[in-house]
Amino acid sequence: MLTYIVRRIVYSIPVLIVASFLTFWGLRIAFDPLAKYRNTKGAVRTLAEQRKRLGLNHPLFIQWWNWFAKAIRGNLGVSDRTNNPVMGEIIHRLGTTIHLIIWSTILSAVLAIGVGVYSAVKQYSIGDYVFTGVSYIGLAMPPFWFGLMAILIFTTFPVTHWHLKSPIFYSIGLHSTGESGIFNLDYYRHLALPVLTLTVQSIASWSRFERASMLDVLSADYVRTARAKGVPRRKVIFKHAFRNALIPLLTVMALDTAFLFGGLIITEQIFAISGMGRYFLESLTAGDAPALTGWVVITALFVITFNLLADIMYSVLDPRIRLS
Amino acid sequence: MRLVAVVATVAIVLAACGSSKSNGSGNSGGATTTKAPKIVDGGTLTVGAEQEPDCFDWIDACGGSSWGSWMGQYQTVPRAFDPIPQGGGVLKNEPGVLLTGMPTFSATPVETITYHINPKAVWSDGVPITCDDFKYTADQIANGANIYDRTGYTDIAKVDCTDESSPVVTYKPGTAFSGWQALFAGGTGVLPSHILQGKDRDALMKNGYDWSGGPWIAKWTKGDNITLTPNTKYWGDQPHLAKVVFKFEADTAAEFQAFKSNQVQAIYPQPQIDVVDAIGSGIANANTATNANTAYVEALWLNNGKAPFDDEKVREALGYAIDRDAVVKQLFGKLGVDHAVNSINPFAIEDYSDQDAFAGYHLDLSKVNDLMTGDGWAKQGGIWTKNGQKAEFTLSTTSGNKRRQLTAQVVQSELQTAGFTMHINLRDAGDLFGEDLPKGNYQASLYASGLTALTPGLCSQFCSKNIPGPANQNSGQNWTRTNVKELDTQLEIVDTNPDAAAEKAAGKKGDEIMATNAVTFPLDPLPDILIWSKKVVGPVQDNSILGMFWNINEWGCAGGVC
Repeated sequence: MLTYIVRRIVYSIPVLIVASFLTFWGLRIAFDPLAKYRNTKGAVRTLAEQRKRLGLNHPLFIQWWNWFAKAIRGNLGVSDRTNNPVMGEIIHRLGTTIHLIIWSTILSAVLAIGVGVYSAVKQYSIGDYVFTGVSYIGLAMPPFWFGLMAILIFTTFPVTHWHLKSPIFYSIGLHSTGESGIFNLDYYRHLALPVLTLTVQSIASWSRFERASMLDVLSADYVRTARAKGVPRRKVIFKHAFRNALIPLLTVMALDTAFLFGGLIITEQIFAISGMGRYFLESLTAGDAPALTGWVVITALFVITFNLLADIMYSVLDPRIRLS
Repeated sequence: MRLVAVVATVAIVLAACGSSKSNGSGNSGGATTTKAPKIVDGGTLTVGAEQEPDCFDWIDACGGSSWGSWMGQYQTVPRAFDPIPQGGGVLKNEPGVLLTGMPTFSATPVETITYHINPKAVWSDGVPITCDDFKYTADQIANGANIYDRTGYTDIAKVDCTDESSPVVTYKPGTAFSGWQALFAGGTGVLPSHILQGKDRDALMKNGYDWSGGPWIAKWTKGDNITLTPNTKYWGDQPHLAKVVFKFEADTAAEFQAFKSNQVQAIYPQPQIDVVDAIGSGIANANTATNANTAYVEALWLNNGKAPFDDEKVREALGYAIDRDAVVKQLFGKLGVDHAVNSINPFAIEDYSDQDAFAGYHLDLSKVNDLMTGDGWAKQGGIWTKNGQKAEFTLSTTSGNKRRQLTAQVVQSELQTAGFTMHINLRDAGDLFGEDLPKGNYQASLYASGLTALTPGLCSQFCSKNIPGPANQNSGQNWTRTNVKELDTQLEIVDTNPDAAAEKAAGKKGDEIMATNAVTFPLDPLPDILIWSKKVVGPVQDNSILGMFWNINEWGCAGGVC
């Protein structure tokens, strides 16, 4: 397995290089990093200074190479927008984003597996139909719309109609003024709506996936054999079927978790959370090529890592699979 | 004057729930005050902020954010002058509490300004504010790297500190700066030399700092908020509030909900359609005020160097083909703002402009016919045509801005009736302002320009020497490619003549010339909108340059609780 992991890591290096070059190249072509400096009366001098500072006097490939040479040493360059090191800014934002990813993954997994298993075991029951309907609604709802509706229902409505002094759940940031830490109610009242917004589609799709997977396993020969031998139903479901039904879902979960970065862009914007998603939007608005390239590289690293993790988990859960 | 492209990047989706009548809504005077019997000390006020600054080094290229200045700079950096509301939306430059009064000004033999520093003025560490601070600030702006705007500083010959309490600024012979009241004022202020001298100013300031020469000390928690706490050493009016928290909330719809759910108690939203509708319907437990006499002008900017607008008659005809008042009424009628602005100079500098210059342009289809037929155009299929070319053009504007899209659609409809075909091209703000306009890759555009200091002057935007080209390394801001010699003369007087009377006369004349030549068409004043909780007391008042929070040290919470 070690050989497999090393080989996967080696294979991912050219992917990262190509992704970083394409991003850098595309952004430098699409945006004028000097645009904001043109709006000054002292523009001529400022432009020359900025052109030099940003290294724009060099050909595009050299600009990227200069960036890349530093990036492989862990230096993702300096943000065009803030003049601060991109690595530091990303690490700061990543911490916030990891909060959201962990909580949304836990919530999605618990609810989706529970609903999926229930729906499979109680196939065609009223509960199954209800969960199926709710899942389709969840899949159809755009996160930005769901987020705003959640804000209306859980923050605005209780204050404006029930005259509560503070909303049930907050809609800005992860802490109230003066609060910090993650072991207090304030944190969870801030976390609830963004996590719910981020997970609504995952819960819906994962539960459908788990239901289908569980149904497959429940109709497998070895399950029928186990039941024919008199193994209790509960034991058959949770010992024989559940573990095998979990394997494909875990792969999907690992991949989806990496792609949560995309969903975070909208969610963090709506709930004013300063994480990687908002960093992407701010950098994109400013045409900040070093920041966006850094963002793409870090995101790509996450996708690759979670892909690898999915494969490893697959082999651990199913010993028949050998990674070689 | 620095050009500020006011771009709303977020569409507003608002579901208004409250219905109680608002107080002050529709006030276009901009000077609304909440009377409170007594302002008690204490309380925390949370404000929704639509933008997080890129950095706190206000003179650096990264420090140009208006919201950044409103929240951080104006609260901590002392200033020689402030634009102060005089009622009716009029602003007037007045010496700040940093000075004892008006500086001594002399235009001959060289321009000289002598400031008199308030002897009580100290930094938050107790060190007096002195001439060294003025000298250091002027030197940094004139000679520092990555400076956002050096206007007025590069021609300073010296800052004489013979008397530490009376800095004397002397200009180089043969140079003059008519906007001298902008020196050490809003855009820059005065920086503490005893903290920054000989060090990397940008590194020490850009991520926030703990010193202050204003009423507040600002703490920037990146990604979350800027928190103001009183500067106990401030020699002016001490803040009543114990704390002000500016919470960053870039999504305007969510910001509105945060206000309605009392998570924030004041917001200063962009004038978007949904915001206007919400104010029209009333917001529960809130005071609202609007100010149409602002420092902004939203206009139809015409590329005078590109067909069909390289033809002055076509430009004039366009002016008679649009009912600009109707456009403004449709956008802001619910706020009581229903007349177009008639000068490219914003109202904030009305003394230096003719605010009626474009009033002659109103919907008049017979004039359109006269102008177009007189210029050799004829209607074919309802569209003006000349030498096989149709009177057809594309209007470029920023994407994601509902108000601009609606404006463009209304104008498009009116022009079609008048025989013009207009296409709408929604562009990313970065592309529009970074590429299209500087390079002239547009025919007409819709955006706003505004003031960041109370200094008149449109030369940077309309003098022929500022048409982007090799002579100015393509950095000129005359994006309309206006090239009118007599206009150059007048606008250069405004920029360089220290005689205020001559400046004012030239400014008015400049407006008239712009209208006569139909170089472009102003539309609306982009009203400022203030919304604050009824729990907030004190002189809440718009300042279209310094923002809504310019006097927040005088605000309080009713009963000490917001």
